[in-house]
Amino acid sequence: MRHIFKGLMTATALASMVATSAHADEPKKGGTLVTVLGSNVRNLNSAVQSGIVTGFPGAQLFASPLRYDENWEPQPYLAETWETSEDGLTVTLNLVKNAKFHDGTPLTSADVAFSVEVIKANHPFKSMFAPVDSVETPDAHTAVLKLSKPHPALMLAMSGQLMSIIPKHIYGDGEITDVKAHPRNNENVVGSGPFKLVEFKNGEHVILERFDDFFIDGRPYLDKIVMRIITDPAARAIAYENGELHMGAFESLPRIINRLKDVDSLTVTADGYGAIGPLDWLAMNTTKGPLADVRVRKAIAYAVDKNFIHKALMQGTASDSTTGIHPDSPFYAAQDGYDLDLEKSAALLDEAGFPVKDGSRMSLTIDFGWPGVKPQVEYVKAALKKVDIDVEVVSSADFPTWAKKMGTGDFDMSWDTVFNWGDPVIGVHRTYDSSNIQKGVWSNTQGYSNARVDELMAMAAVETDDAKRKALYAEFQAIIADEVPVYHTNTLPYHTVYNTDKVGNPPIGIWGTSTPIDMTYLK
Amino acid sequence: MIFLQTLLVRSVYAAILLLAVLVLNFSMMHLAPGDVADTIAQANGGADAEVLAAIRAEYGLDQPFLVQLGRYIGNVLQGNLGYSFYYREPVTELIMQRIPATLLLVFSAQILALLIGVFLGVVSAQNPNGMTSHFVTFIALFGYSAPVFWTGILLLIGFSLQFQWFPVAGMRDVTIEGGFFVKTWDVIVHLILPMITLASVFLALYSRLTRATMLEQLRTDYVRTAYAKGVPHRKVVYQHALKNALSPVITLAGLQFSAVISGAVLVEAVFSWPGLGTLAFTSILARDTPTILGILFFSALVVIVGNLLTDLAQKLVDPRIGGKG
Amino acid sequence: MSDLTTDAPHVSQSPWGQAWRRFRGNYAALLGLIVLTIIIFAAIFGPAIYGIDPYEMLWAPFSPPGVDGFWLGTDYLGRDLMAQIIAGARVSIIIGLSAAFMSVVIGVSVGALAGFYRGWVEEVLMRITEFFQVLPTLLFAMVIVALFGASLPMITVAIGVVSWTAVARITRSEFLRIRELEFFMASRSSGTRPLKIMFSVILPNALPPIIVQSALMVGSAILFEAGLSFLGLTDPNVVSWGQIIGSNRQYILDAGYTVTIPGVAIFITVLCISLVGDGLNDALNPKLKDR
Repeated sequence: MRHIFKGLMTATALASMVATSAHADEPKKGGTLVTVLGSNVRNLNSAVQSGIVTGFPGAQLFASPLRYDENWEPQPYLAETWETSEDGLTVTLNLVKNAKFHDGTPLTSADVAFSVEVIKANHPFKSMFAPVDSVETPDAHTAVLKLSKPHPALMLAMSGQLMSIIPKHIYGDGEITDVKAHPRNNENVVGSGPFKLVEFKNGEHVILERFDDFFIDGRPYLDKIVMRIITDPAARAIAYENGELHMGAFESLPRIINRLKDVDSLTVTADGYGAIGPLDWLAMNTTKGPLADVRVRKAIAYAVDKNFIHKALMQGTASDSTTGIHPDSPFYAAQDGYDLDLEKSAALLDEAGFPVKDGSRMSLTIDFGWPGVKPQVEYVKAALKKVDIDVEVVSSADFPTWAKKMGTGDFDMSWDTVFNWGDPVIGVHRTYDSSNIQKGVWSNTQGYSNARVDELMAMAAVETDDAKRKALYAEFQAIIADEVPVYHTNTLPYHTVYNTDKVGNPPIGIWGTSTPIDMTYLK
Repeated sequence: MIFLQTLLVRSVYAAILLLAVLVLNFSMMHLAPGDVADTIAQANGGADAEVLAAIRAEYGLDQPFLVQLGRYIGNVLQGNLGYSFYYREPVTELIMQRIPATLLLVFSAQILALLIGVFLGVVSAQNPNGMTSHFVTFIALFGYSAPVFWTGILLLIGFSLQFQWFPVAGMRDVTIEGGFFVKTWDVIVHLILPMITLASVFLALYSRLTRATMLEQLRTDYVRTAYAKGVPHRKVVYQHALKNALSPVITLAGLQFSAVISGAVLVEAVFSWPGLGTLAFTSILARDTPTILGILFFSALVVIVGNLLTDLAQKLVDPRIGGKG
Repeated sequence: MSDLTTDAPHVSQSPWGQAWRRFRGNYAALLGLIVLTIIIFAAIFGPAIYGIDPYEMLWAPFSPPGVDGFWLGTDYLGRDLMAQIIAGARVSIIIGLSAAFMSVVIGVSVGALAGFYRGWVEEVLMRITEFFQVLPTLLFAMVIVALFGASLPMITVAIGVVSWTAVARITRSEFLRIRELEFFMASRSSGTRPLKIMFSVILPNALPPIIVQSALMVGSAILFEAGLSFLGLTDPNVVSWGQIIGSNRQYILDAGYTVTIPGVAIFITVLCISLVGDGLNDALNPKLKDR
C-alpha cells in the first residue's frame, strides 16, 4: 500500500516541477484573481488568530520576517538577513529598510518587538515564542531576539502566518491582551504585506488590492484578489469547473478532488501543505477504562483497516501517515503500520482480559472533531464490531461542547484532524507532552505520559544540529507508533486547485495559502 | 385616523410579544448546560477555574439570573444586543450586515409565491376539471411535499451545474464592474434560484387556497347576479370574485412568515446565501450565545413586521375588515 | 373557512360510514392510503424481510443503483442504500407521528380550553399561541436541539413544541362554532360537567378538521425532521431519511442518487399523507368539496 502512495506522490511532484518550469516564463502584471475561502473568516489579524481561513488573507495583509521555499529552506522576507549566535540564545534579524505599512508609516524593529509581545499574549500557539525572553531594538532596522534556551523551531515560527508583524501605532493603543478584540482586526486593517484591504463583508467576501509601496520591487503581480466565501464544497467544485473561481486551496473532500482532477482546465495538486501538516487520527483516552491498556489500543489499531480508509474513504487522495509528524516534514520517520489483523486483535483483547460476553467485549464511545470525519467515525463503529467492541457515536452540536469534552478527558475515542504547524515543537509536542495533559482541546487530551518521550521532546526542542534532531524525533516517533495513544491513519488530503491556463505560479511551497502570493500571476 | 390607531395598538402589542420572546430565549440559553464563560474558555483552548471565574465576573455571569435577564432586556431596549465573542463584533452590527440578504430572499419569495399562486388559483378555479386545474393541484402537492432543501439541491444541480445558467452560490459577483443597474441585475441573477426554491413551498399553499376560495366566490349569489346582469366574464372574475377571495389568502400569507424564515434558513444553507440563516448556523455551531439570542429576536421581529404588513395589505384589498385584524 | 360546515350532525345514520364511502370514491386519496400503508408496512416489517444491516459496510462505496445486486446502490461507506431507506422509514415515520401527536395534544388542549371557557382564559391562551407563531420555528428548534442534545426524543420535542399553533387555532374556532349549536346548548343546560362536555360532546364534533390537520402535521413533522438532519442536528447513531441526505450531501455532484433517493422517499411519503389528508377533508367536510 505504502509503495502506491509513494509512487503517487513522486508522480505528482514531477508533474508540478514540470509545471513550475513551464510557467517560469515572464509573469504578467495585473488582473484580478478570484479565489475562495472555504469557511467563514471572522478575524483578519493573523497575529492573534490562528487557523487557515485567517492565514490566507492574513499572510497577504501582514508580512513576516521569513518565508520558506518548497524545499523547507528559509528565504529573506521582512528580514534581509538573519543570524543565530553560537550558543543559540540570540537571533538577530536585519530588516529591509524600505518596508512600509499600508498607511505609509515605515516598519521598524519596534513593530517587530511589539508583534512578538502581542503574539505571545494572544496567539494560541504558546510554544512558538515561549523561549523568547525579550526583543531588543538596537536600531530601527535591527531586532534581536533574546532566548532563554536554544529554540530551532523559531525559524519556521517566523514564517507563514505564524509571525505577522503588525503596526504598533495602530494596535498598540490599548492593553496588549486587548489586541485580540481590536476593532481593526477586521476593518481598516493595516499591515505591510503585498496586498491591502479593500473590503471585508462578513459571510460574503474579502477583497484585497495591490499595495503599490510593497517593499519588494515589482511585486505583487496581481492588482486585486477577490476571496469569495463559499462554505459548500459542492458549490466550490462547480465554481472551479465553470471558471467562476481561478484558484482555491485546502480542498479536502476526496470525491471532489478526484472529480476536479478529471476536469481538463484544472490542475489539482497535493503539494504545498507540508508545514500545515494536517493529520487525520483516532485519538484514544489512555487515562480511563479499557483504553488505558496498551494492548487494547493496539487491538483497535489492528481492527481498523487502514487500507479501507485509504481506498474507500479517502479514494486514494491521502498519504499514509504513521506517526505524529506529517510525512512531508523533514523530521518524518515512517513506522510499521498496524495492518488489518482481526485474529491478532482478538487475541490481544483476550490477553488484556476482555473476553466476549453475550456477544460483546466492551462498550466504547467515539466523538468526532468536525463533520468531515463523520464517515471515519461510522467506519470505526462498524470495524470494531467485528472484534465485538460496541461503539456509540457521540455528536456534540457545537464546538465548545466538544472542546470541553476533549479538554477534560471526557471521551473514549475521538476522530480528529490536527495540524503540525511547521516545526514539531509547535504542533506535535502538545499532543504527547505529559505536562500538557488535558489542558483544553488539541492538548495532550489522551492523557498520554511517557518519561522517555518527554525527554526526547525536551532534547529535540533545543537541539540545533539538524541531523541529531532528526534522530531524536525518529526515536520519539517509534515509541508513539508503538504505544498508540493516537492511531495515525492518513494525512488530510489538502489540495490546491487552479485553472491551468489562467494562474501562474500558484502557492505550492510548504504553507499552502498561508503565505504571501506576491509571485502568483494571471496569464 | 383609525389606521394610525390600529398601528399604535398593534405596535404596543408587538412590543409585548417581543419582550416575551426575549425572556423565553434568554431563559432557555440559561437553562442549557455550560455557560458563556465555558464557551469563551473553550474557544481559547481551555482554562482553569480561576480564569473561568474572571470571565464570569467580566460578563456578569456570577450575578443572579433575574439580574442578568434584567440587564439583558435593558440593553436590548437601548438597541444593544450584546457583543459576539465569536465574531468579536457587536451583535447588532453583525445582524445588520446580514439582514438585508434575508429580507430580500424572504419578501421576494413571498411576493413571487403570492403572485403566481393567486394567478394559478384563479385560472384553475374557472375550469375546475381542466388541465390547468390538475397542473395546479400537482404543483401544489409537489411544493408542499418536497423538502425545500432537496428542491434547492435539485435546482442547483440542474440549472447551475448541468446548464450553467445561474451562479452556484452567494448573493453577488464582486468581480463585476459597472453601475447600479449592472449590480442590481447581478443580485437578481443570484436571487432567482433561491427565490424559486423558497417560493415553491408557499406557492403551493396559496394556489390551493385561492382555487378553493375562488370556487366558493364563483358560486355566490352576487357573482351569479353579476353574470345575469351581463357583466363580462373577466370583470366578474378579476374584479368581483378575486377581490373577495384574496383576503383569506393574504391572511394565510401573513401566518406563513415564520415558516418562510424557517425555509429561508435551509435555502440559505444550500445556496450559501449570506443571510441570517447562515449566520445562525455558524453561531449555533460556535455556541455564540449573544448572536443566537440576537438572531432569534430579530427573526421574531421580522415575523411581526411581516404580520403587520399583511394586515395593512388586507386593508388595502378589503377596507371593510375591522381594526383588530 | 370552517364556518361553512355548520350542519355535520344533520347527516343521517353513521356519518363515519358515509365519510368512508366518499373517501373511497376519491382515487387519489385511496392511492395515497395504499402507498402509505405499504410504506408503514415496510417500516415495520421491512428490516426483517430485507434482512440486510443498514449500518454494515458491504460493498464498494458509491456503487450506483441496480449494479452488483444493490437495488438503490451503496452510500459513501459502501452501505446498502435500500436497507438504509427502510431503516430510515422507521425513524422518520416515528418522529413524524410522535411529533405530530405531541403538537396535536398541545394544540387541542390549548384550543379546546380557549374555545370552551372564552374570556380571560381564551385571551391568555391565544396570546401564547400567537407568541409561538411569532417564533421562527426552525431556528428555535435548531437552538433547542443544539443546546440540549440531538437525541430522537429531544428532536421530537423540539418539533412538537414549535408546531402546535395551527391545531390550536383550528380547535378553538371549531369549539367556538359548536358552542353556538343547539345540541351543545342542550347538554349544557342539563348540567353535565364541563370537562365531560368538552371531551365527549364538543370534541367528537370538532374532530373532522382536527383530523385533517393532524394528518398534515405528520407530513410537516417529517419534513421538519429532514430539515434538522440535513443541517446535521441529528443523532448520528440512527439513520433517518433527512440524515441520509445530510450526510451524503457533499457527494451530490457525483453520486446524486444518494441524495435524490431519500428525497424521493420523503417526497412520496409526505405526498401520500397530503393526498390522504385531502381525501379526509373532502370526505369529512362534504360541503367544502371543490367539485
